[in-house]
Amino acid sequence: MARQRYHDGLALRQALPGRFLPFLVGSMAFLAALALAGGIAAHSLSQRWTHGAGAVTTVQVPGPTDPATTTAAMGQMPATRIDAVLAILAATPGITDTHRLSDAELRALLAPWIEQTGDASLPLPAVIELHTAPGQDVAASLLPRLQAQAPGVLMEHDSVWSDRLAALAASLQACAGLAVLVVMTVAVCVVMAATRAGLLTRRQAIGLIHALGATDSYISGRFATRVGLLALWGGLCGSVLALPMLLALSQLAAPFTAMGDAPATAPDWRDLHAWSALLPPALLWMLVIVPPAAGLTGWATTQLTVRAWLRRLP
Amino acid sequence: MFRLHDVSYAYGGSQAGVAALSHVSLDVAQGEFRWLLGPSGAGKSSLLSILSLEVQASSGMVEILGVPVRQTRRAGLARLRRRIGAVKQDFGLLPDMSVFDNVALPLRLQHRAEAEIAHEVHAIMKWVGLEHRLDALPPQLSGGEQQRVAIARAVIYRPALLVADEPTNALDERQAGRLMRMFHRLAELGTTIVVATHNDAIVAKYPAPTIELLHGHLVRDHG
Repeated sequence: MARQRYHDGLALRQALPGRFLPFLVGSMAFLAALALAGGIAAHSLSQRWTHGAGAVTTVQVPGPTDPATTTAAMGQMPATRIDAVLAILAATPGITDTHRLSDAELRALLAPWIEQTGDASLPLPAVIELHTAPGQDVAASLLPRLQAQAPGVLMEHDSVWSDRLAALAASLQACAGLAVLVVMTVAVCVVMAATRAGLLTRRQAIGLIHALGATDSYISGRFATRVGLLALWGGLCGSVLALPMLLALSQLAAPFTAMGDAPATAPDWRDLHAWSALLPPALLWMLVIVPPAAGLTGWATTQLTVRAWLRRLP
Repeated sequence: MFRLHDVSYAYGGSQAGVAALSHVSLDVAQGEFRWLLGPSGAGKSSLLSILSLEVQASSGMVEILGVPVRQTRRAGLARLRRRIGAVKQDFGLLPDMSVFDNVALPLRLQHRAEAEIAHEVHAIMKWVGLEHRLDALPPQLSGGEQQRVAIARAVIYRPALLVADEPTNALDERQAGRLMRMFHRLAELGTTIVVATHNDAIVAKYPAPTIELLHGHLVRDHG
């Protein structure tokens, strides 16, 4: 009905046009989604490094087939050094997996050095990879026990690299957080500027309905609802636009994260479950949360801006 | 009804501003009709602005419809404004809203039902003789028509206090007479009315107690 079009005279469709604000908020939401995705990816890679390569300890046992030191005295320990070491590792809490490298694996690993010396009969130590549970540092207590059975045992832990990678990931996460903060600040400024422009456009109507008894909460609520919905729409557009880019990045990062290799072909376009499986859950949630967060930010910013502006009226 | 005690008002703040009202005290009871007289610059519009809560007095006590203005919070003042009708010299109509919507505005802010609003608007617009201009925009109306629309909007919600600044300015004698009869009828029903005017003829024709201002001072209060 034409008579209902303006209803209370605020004419918010004129004061706050439906294109400018969603475009700007959508752009901010797009950038925020990318920054958040970067932070989530850095966190994911950090977890992978810390709990993957970083959690591997290498044990070298020279003369693996030589008799273990206390075999004779104890009378219960396995006969060879390698068996003694494996028995100790199996009985040590915090070790989740052990893998003794086969001769073939070992020779493949050492091929560049063996080829240089040209001596294929060079005696090689036994090498065991240990996987420890996250947060478990067994090396310090384990080494003396192993050396008691097999003198010359060496242990190497990749903590230096994993610590550096974790520090790099933490820095990337901080940068992503900062970027999100900057984007949110710009979004708040944009909303404030648009709201003030809208208030100036309709200041005569606002003054009139204020004089007729409209409360501050009524006027600010009307503006905030309009801006909140426009920002929600902008945030939705930003999230949807970010989705293909995040899918592509996610597939590129898949081999380095817990998601494993990317599928060779794209899922059927109707299979939402398959599509959603292409993104880590944290990224999916982030894409879902960005639009309401944009709407809420727009609503709250407008409430504060309008209420501050209305204070100039008696 | 309203009470003013030692009220002063200055444009641009109480310290460095230009004094518009100085130490005015008034006490007007419910259902009274008062003419507000005085030359230009006497402070009539300032007094009406204070009574319609458009501005706050710089000093002194203002009590409107039993509500002490200075001690009342903003939400309370908003509720009080819904009981006050004001007719301004510039009419205060929104140019991009139809006559119907302009007049319906106070009722819509009170969240009345649309059917009731339509009934009330048609009734009041018939009374002011503009029921055929409901869909017109204010700029399409003559000055007299705009004034009648502004009057219709000010009285449609039957305010307890009605202040009018030169409401007969743009009206012919017959319309001015109708308006004065309506004001007196509203006063009989309990509305307190203050009408500022320069029109000595209409004051003489419709005698009523007067408030007279000169250079911001109250010089006569025939209550």
